Amino acid sequence: MNLLIINTLPEAEPAAQQVICALAEKVDEYRVIHTAAMRIAPCVGCNCCWLKTPGVCALKDDYEQILKAYLEYDAAIFISGTSLGFIDHRTKNLIDRSIPLGTMYTHIVNGQMRHVPRYDKVFHFGLIYTGEADREYLELWLKRFALNFNSVSIGAFPVEKIQEVSLCI
Amino acid sequence: MHLTIISGATRPRERSNTAKIISVFLTGFQKCGHTAEVWYLSDRTSWAGTRAAFCENSNILFALPLYVENVPGTMLEFLESLPPKTTSGTRLSFLVQGGFPEASQGRCCECFLKTLPEQLGCAYGGTLIRGDMFSTGLLGKKHGSKMVQPFIEIGHSFGKYGYFHESIIVEYASPEYLSEKQIRQFQRLSKFSRWLMDIIAKRLGCTERLDAMPYDK
Ligand SMILES: Cc1cc2nc3c(=O)[nH]c(=O)nc-3n(C[C@H](O)[C@H](O)[C@H](O)COP(=O)(O)O)c2cc1C
Repeated sequence: MNLLIINTLPEAEPAAQQVICALAEKVDEYRVIHTAAMRIAPCVGCNCCWLKTPGVCALKDDYEQILKAYLEYDAAIFISGTSLGFIDHRTKNLIDRSIPLGTMYTHIVNGQMRHVPRYDKVFHFGLIYTGEADREYLELWLKRFALNFNSVSIGAFPVEKIQEVSLCI
Repeated sequence: MHLTIISGATRPRERSNTAKIISVFLTGFQKCGHTAEVWYLSDRTSWAGTRAAFCENSNILFALPLYVENVPGTMLEFLESLPPKTTSGTRLSFLVQGGFPEASQGRCCECFLKTLPEQLGCAYGGTLIRGDMFSTGLLGKKHGSKMVQPFIEIGHSFGKYGYFHESIIVEYASPEYLSEKQIRQFQRLSKFSRWLMDIIAKRLGCTERLDAMPYDK
């Protein structure tokens, strides 16, 4: 089992370091991408990744390595700050940029319309957050996000509950 | 009534479906004799002005596209920067539009939006969800204006009540789910819609298959 850890908190933040250490113990191999110092712009909704350069984002910044890394690891876990009871905009911007994982084509999954996935892979996504948030809501939202990209939610965990994260995939 | 509309779309105004919807919404809203101002978060240089408008006005409507089951990251960044109001009397409403046809696809976002007014010191004026908006700006002007027609009535109703009345929310958040018949129809037309997407893509200059896997190992 190998794990991609995407840390959107400042690299030196003790909570981030604590989570990374705890996750590292649970897997054979892992890679950490610290996004705080990276140039990652918000999605501009141009739809190029669906209709013009399928699967490739038109924004040429530091994001592409994350998109590629999703395909190389069994699971990806975001370490995120929170605001207004939800993940903060840094993580949301990152997740908005994941739409090249889906195609423009749609199909019905469990009675609802979804994008046909671009890759055969079943992804696993999880979230570990610091600060105040509505965990139940984050769980629901993560499940919906996962459903959009042919993936499975590992769950949303406050940083204090890091030991609950199960990576038996 | 004076209404402050804030578009949470990240697409530039000229290409944004949200902007098209706002423009038609205003036609209906202004029929009631009201005035409105519109701010676009896609233009970051206007954020200070938008923030001031949020602070000064008491009737605020956020219009936004669904982005991965919630508000776009850009809009979230803007929301994070708002100081909660300390005096009562502001009403905050939301108009959510998305690409998928079912209103149920907007419910997860609605759950979050419902929590915002209290967090920002405002009262809640309801959330109107409308799906199937993806192709508004894609299939030509005639098709686009037909798709946004309902927003005239939605704007008019908003002008009448000052918030999204339950009846208008229910009427336009439809279908909640596709019926069995609609699903069968969708599946029957699936080849045709793929073909149509391929044609649109070609016109936009696409030279790859739409299901290309550029990063496949
Ligand atoms: C990054 C991104 C994420 C999206 N996520 C959703 C979604 O979760 N559900 C949905 O129905 N539509 C989704 N859409 C489609 C848009 O909501 C839809 O095309 C909308 O009309 C775009 O409005 P705009 O032109 O003002 O940006 C998404 C589009 C983008 C670019």
